[in-house]
Amino acid sequence: MRNPLRRPRALLAAGAAAALALTAAACGDSGESDADITFWHIQNEDPMKSTWAAMADEWSEESGLTVEPSAIAVEDFKTRLSTQTQAGDLPGLYNTWGGGVLAEQVEAGLVRDISGLECLDKVNPIALESYTIDGKLYAIPFDQGVVGFWYNKDLFAQAGITTTPTTWTEFTAAVQTLKDAGITPIALGAADKWPVHYYWTYLTMRLVGLDGLAAAAEAGDFSGEGFVQAGQLLADLAAMEPFQEGFESATYGEVDGQAAHMGEGIAAMELMGQWAPQVQRDASGTEGPGDALGFFPFPALDGGPGVATEFLGGGGGFAAGADAPEEIEDFMCYLLEEENQARAVKDGNFSTVAADPAAVVPEMNAEQQAIADALAKATDTQLYLDQAYPPAIGSIINDASQGLILGEIDSAEFVTMVNEAWAAEQ
Amino acid sequence: VTPTRDQIRSDAGRAGGGAPPRRGRGRRPGAGTLAAFIAPALILFLLFVLVPVLFAGYTAFFRWNGLGGLPTDFAGLENFRTLVADEVFLGDLGRIGLITVLSIAVQLPMAFGLAMLLHQRFPGRTAFRLLFFVPYILTEAVTAVLFGLIFSPRRGFADAVLAGLGADGRIGWLSDRGIVLFVIFGILTWKFFGFHMILYLAGRQNIPEELYEAARVDGATGRQLFRHITLPLMGPTVRITVFLSVIGTVQLFDLVYVLTKGGPYHASETLAITMYEQGFVRGQIGYASALSIAMFLISLVFALIYQRYVLSRDTQGALTSTDGGRT
Repeated sequence: MRNPLRRPRALLAAGAAAALALTAAACGDSGESDADITFWHIQNEDPMKSTWAAMADEWSEESGLTVEPSAIAVEDFKTRLSTQTQAGDLPGLYNTWGGGVLAEQVEAGLVRDISGLECLDKVNPIALESYTIDGKLYAIPFDQGVVGFWYNKDLFAQAGITTTPTTWTEFTAAVQTLKDAGITPIALGAADKWPVHYYWTYLTMRLVGLDGLAAAAEAGDFSGEGFVQAGQLLADLAAMEPFQEGFESATYGEVDGQAAHMGEGIAAMELMGQWAPQVQRDASGTEGPGDALGFFPFPALDGGPGVATEFLGGGGGFAAGADAPEEIEDFMCYLLEEENQARAVKDGNFSTVAADPAAVVPEMNAEQQAIADALAKATDTQLYLDQAYPPAIGSIINDASQGLILGEIDSAEFVTMVNEAWAAEQ
Repeated sequence: VTPTRDQIRSDAGRAGGGAPPRRGRGRRPGAGTLAAFIAPALILFLLFVLVPVLFAGYTAFFRWNGLGGLPTDFAGLENFRTLVADEVFLGDLGRIGLITVLSIAVQLPMAFGLAMLLHQRFPGRTAFRLLFFVPYILTEAVTAVLFGLIFSPRRGFADAVLAGLGADGRIGWLSDRGIVLFVIFGILTWKFFGFHMILYLAGRQNIPEELYEAARVDGATGRQLFRHITLPLMGPTVRITVFLSVIGTVQLFDLVYVLTKGGPYHASETLAITMYEQGFVRGQIGYASALSIAMFLISLVFALIYQRYVLSRDTQGALTSTDGGRT
């Protein structure tokens, strides 16, 4: 009856069971890191990727705390961060664009209040606006810029266009001229949706103005004539078929995407932010259009209160998770040291946020100069709507923008979708 | 009634009824051993399957963005009412239905035919079997990236091949809303036919050769052999592959999400993608929970009906009456 092997077998079974449970526990924990500070940024290409890593190492050596940087592509970053937000555990230091998304994280008590940061005199106070919520500061900026048309001067010249368009009529005329010359007028990554929402946002900024936008957001009502008209203008533009072939499934930054079309000099222009020239080079694996790359603001529109010096814009910043050690403020200040700001501007091609730009970037390149000039002329700025509004609204605007240019919905349906989303959010 | 089923029955009867021939080694294990073996799986199952399912059933009745503790804003059936009027959700059902129909009408018969071919003896048979099974080994994400490059709009391999054949113009493989779903179906077929083929091959190999010999002696033609022996005896395998195919389609996510994100504008969106977008992109966890409950119910109802009316003959004896002879 008593098999001498029984006992060891039972032990073995128990051991196996325990090992299994341990493995499972370890799996559940795989998202965690042993580092004191996890550092999530979106500069997933060199040289900036290595520069962030180097800064993290240097500070780590100084402070004795470990920092683990993670470079995450922007779309993945957004989804991973929102999952992390729902889990109630944000990284020690992470990329943010401010606005409604940051506000939602702040409301959930997941973000560190850094109003008392000692090195704030190093940055331009204007750059802090996107990260200030109810008078408290929640992130440091490292980049500040605007969205506008980046265009290829050679292709414009080839089509016989000598001056950049300043009104919407001139703009659509230029699109037609480019088309007639056999050049793809506009590169667009419609699969990513957000590059499309820039068009709708700019058109509404021109037609209803920034105050009008603010009032609509306040009331949750986008039914005004200007909003419908903006959608119609965008639909009309799409009807001209100005985008590259296959734009419907193209992304912004991947192979054969929007930035690659610009980088390879195939498309004549794109509506994009200050990071565009860098991504053009990265995504195409080329040197980009180089000196042939120019910048002009989104054109003006007759009949609306908006003017061409009002920019859609924003920048990148870093917020700290509520659970981060208090030395995180030291790390933030380390990143803001003028020498380090200069490295970031050089390697990441950022638009400087320094209080004294000359100290950080004595000589700007043409791309940085274009953004700096636009910022200097700017009379007002509007944060990207998919960041300014709560995620449920922002993603509807992105979605509807895509549907509109594909001709799947009309501008009235666009407005209805946005209104319904606001109503559900109340 | 087939010979195999009779065999199963008589086996079951023997094991349960008469003198226990294998009793000595098959002794009932002690409660402690049982618990040690069952507990890890059971705990994991409860923790990661049952609890989340019940929790989703709870949050589906709330307006909730997933932040700041448990949901408080009770919404009753509102999420479900929105759901049945949601064009994207209804579209998902249509797209899932289309892929299911195509799978059963095209993918499975193709896999069946290949399995029959590969059952024959010919040189290189093993190499072919291996080759056809390889796509199934790739993860869905890798497959999607691969086909993303093949169908890339400007430098894609597919367009290059067409151009090489002298075709004029390009095809919007992934950008044309009218064809993207069919392209995805093609990729799904490429990926999964090998899996179904292996199942069919195994099913075919289980059919005793004696049956064919006997039929041939009686003068049966090749067509008759297939119709009256192969097809009926492959029934259980065919029924289970249809089941796996349908359930797999309902849950389709990775491949499509990586390839098209469900676009252009919902043209290739699936139930799981809609759920993901609502829950994790828009932060409407309550609504996404309602959607996941709908998915769960669709799978459950289908599984129950299918088990009750289609699979019942196959599982009879094997699953339902193992203990039959004892009592």
